[in-house]
Amino acid sequence: MRTQRRRRYLVVILVLALIAAACGGDDTTDTTDTTAPADTETTVPSDTETTEPEEMEEPSGEPIRIGGTLALTGFLAATGAIHQAVGEVFVERLNEQGGLLGRPVEWVLLDDESAPDQSAAAYERLITEDEVDLVIGPYGTGNITSAMAVAERYGYVFPHHTASLTYAYNYACHFSSWSTGLHPNITNPNLIYDALESTGTPPETIGFVVNEFPGTMFIAYGQDGTDEGGAVSLAEDRGWDVVLDLTFPTATSDWAPIAAQIRDADPDFLYIAGLGVNASNIITAMQAIDYSPAGMFSQWPAPGPLLQTEGADGIMSVTIFEEHPPFTDNPDAVEVSGLINDALADAGIPYTKVETQAAASWTAWEYLTQAAEGAGSLDQQAMCDWLLENGADTLFQGHIEFRPDEQNYFEDLSKLKQVQDGDWWVVYPEEFAAPDRSLIYSPDE
Amino acid sequence: MDLISQGVVSGVLFGGLYALMSLGLSLSWGALKIINLAHFSFILLSAYIVYQLSVSYQIDPLLAMVVVVPIFFVIGALMQMFFHAVDVDEFKSLIITFGIFIILQSLIQTVWSADFRRIGIELNPYATQSISFGGVAFPVSQLIAFVAAVLIAVGMSLLLSRTYFGKAVRAVAQDRSMARAYGVDPRRVAVILSGLATSFSALAGLFVAVGQSIFPGLAVGWFGIVFSVVILGGLGNTLGTLTAGVVVGVAANTASVTWGPLSAPLVTFLILIAALLFRPEGLLTRRSVA
Repeated sequence: MRTQRRRRYLVVILVLALIAAACGGDDTTDTTDTTAPADTETTVPSDTETTEPEEMEEPSGEPIRIGGTLALTGFLAATGAIHQAVGEVFVERLNEQGGLLGRPVEWVLLDDESAPDQSAAAYERLITEDEVDLVIGPYGTGNITSAMAVAERYGYVFPHHTASLTYAYNYACHFSSWSTGLHPNITNPNLIYDALESTGTPPETIGFVVNEFPGTMFIAYGQDGTDEGGAVSLAEDRGWDVVLDLTFPTATSDWAPIAAQIRDADPDFLYIAGLGVNASNIITAMQAIDYSPAGMFSQWPAPGPLLQTEGADGIMSVTIFEEHPPFTDNPDAVEVSGLINDALADAGIPYTKVETQAAASWTAWEYLTQAAEGAGSLDQQAMCDWLLENGADTLFQGHIEFRPDEQNYFEDLSKLKQVQDGDWWVVYPEEFAAPDRSLIYSPDE
Repeated sequence: MDLISQGVVSGVLFGGLYALMSLGLSLSWGALKIINLAHFSFILLSAYIVYQLSVSYQIDPLLAMVVVVPIFFVIGALMQMFFHAVDVDEFKSLIITFGIFIILQSLIQTVWSADFRRIGIELNPYATQSISFGGVAFPVSQLIAFVAAVLIAVGMSLLLSRTYFGKAVRAVAQDRSMARAYGVDPRRVAVILSGLATSFSALAGLFVAVGQSIFPGLAVGWFGIVFSVVILGGLGNTLGTLTAGVVVGVAANTASVTWGPLSAPLVTFLILIAALLFRPEGLLTRRSVA
């Protein structure tokens, strides 16, 4: 009897421990509202290396509430964490510099759990129940697409980050901060192919390995029902022999068969239209069967893991910003990059450099705040009209002019970067290449 | 022919890892009637601990085995004691262990963030090394995992069939009350078996960390494959689990190199359906631990 009672107490203690473990830690896994530290003290934390902000009047009055979701949990959370860290830095800095329209800003952030339906429901709630003043888009193509529909229904200006299905976004007040242009299925591959041809030794054969994610399928094959084409057909147009054209499910976990097929095809250049750690895993699997193609490209990789992957030296990708000259010729960009580096490190993210995701995230916030300041109000239509008329001055991507006849997209500002000596460097176009860096590629190696 | 040969070899070796990932679940489900969904998060947690030990102490990840295996044995034993205390049956185990799975997944993300983690090249040469034979490559990390799976499957099979403990396990699996009548302590047997099952998942996690980048959401992708292997192999049948792992691995890999990667999950689940229809007791005729 006493033993039974003791065991019951043990059970209770264990259950409480489990509950504590689930509820412990920071707010990043909490699905309730989280606010960025906008209403806490406005001085910069002493452990960050930043220049002191100008003395600004402290924001006052009712906070402006900006609602949004991010993938704080689920399969998109790795990148969601980057956007969360960047957003928090932006809001904190904004409040230190006087807020928005003289008022403090509060970021109402919900977790969409990487699910588009959750994202849509959360935006519905933010707009109708929480009655936020402004919204900012989530992360992830599916989530952005579903959230945009909600924003459109309620007439909210919708700045967003890295949505890949450009052709699908017709909302007049959507503003993408990812400078891919309207036709990345054409401009991105052409950037890469032009770069390869600039070496004087372009590939004769090319292999494609494509994640069945809609965005990567779009890049590789173009839009269904159109003749526009994508990376595969553009390679054929250049007279390159497509020796491998393979698609794989997004949830693939066994990369050995794919590696075997790549080795069997032995292309001069391997185009991995993949996401996250697809390229890392494919390269590792190829290395394990003693194979390495002469040249490789990865569409949208997680940059950090690729640097730690044996055999990834020389792999290329696209970017809109990297932490080296000429991008860092702007001292403000350097300062903000430092703040973001620290925030990412504090969030426990191993790769802390600012690149495409962080830069696009910052840019989206710039759109929103410049629109409000420019319009002088929080009226959504006024903000939308102001952005369309004036564009935006962005820290990491320069001045942006939105083109309504191109669904508010602008030119593709992507650059080609390459892993050299253990780090990422922009190598093409030459005017954006890192000092003393150029594209290294030869089909004979 | 080289492509198919490579596909088959990779399938066999990968099948060893599938078997290693499935052994623990098969044993706990077959012998203890516990459908332990937390098993998947134990594999993931072990992978993270191996990663952290390697990175923090700059050690060979395989050496982390001496730390994770005993730790997870204890975790498994404690978990079984908890199940006894709350009188868990098969259905309750599904719910409770799913809750543990969610909690552990959240804990992992809280501690290590949602970002991808990978043991660096300098500490982990196994991921990219291979042994070539007859034009076919045998990746070292998968080879080691396969050997480990064979040793454990055969070892457990011998343990269950030739030792007093094994007889006790089989007796408890058949009829707890009768086993108790013959002097077997079912709870003690269950605690030890649960510890073993969980330590096998720790070993699987070690090879996951060696072979790929890890992230908190990784475990969800294992459910389909592992359940297929467990059911095809027969609950509690370790040799069956090993065989099923290899069958699934070879079938999926061969299909993938022949018809494309999309066919791999299709083939895996067709095998599962066929097994449930025609061989529900598992590939090797002997049922569970009888």
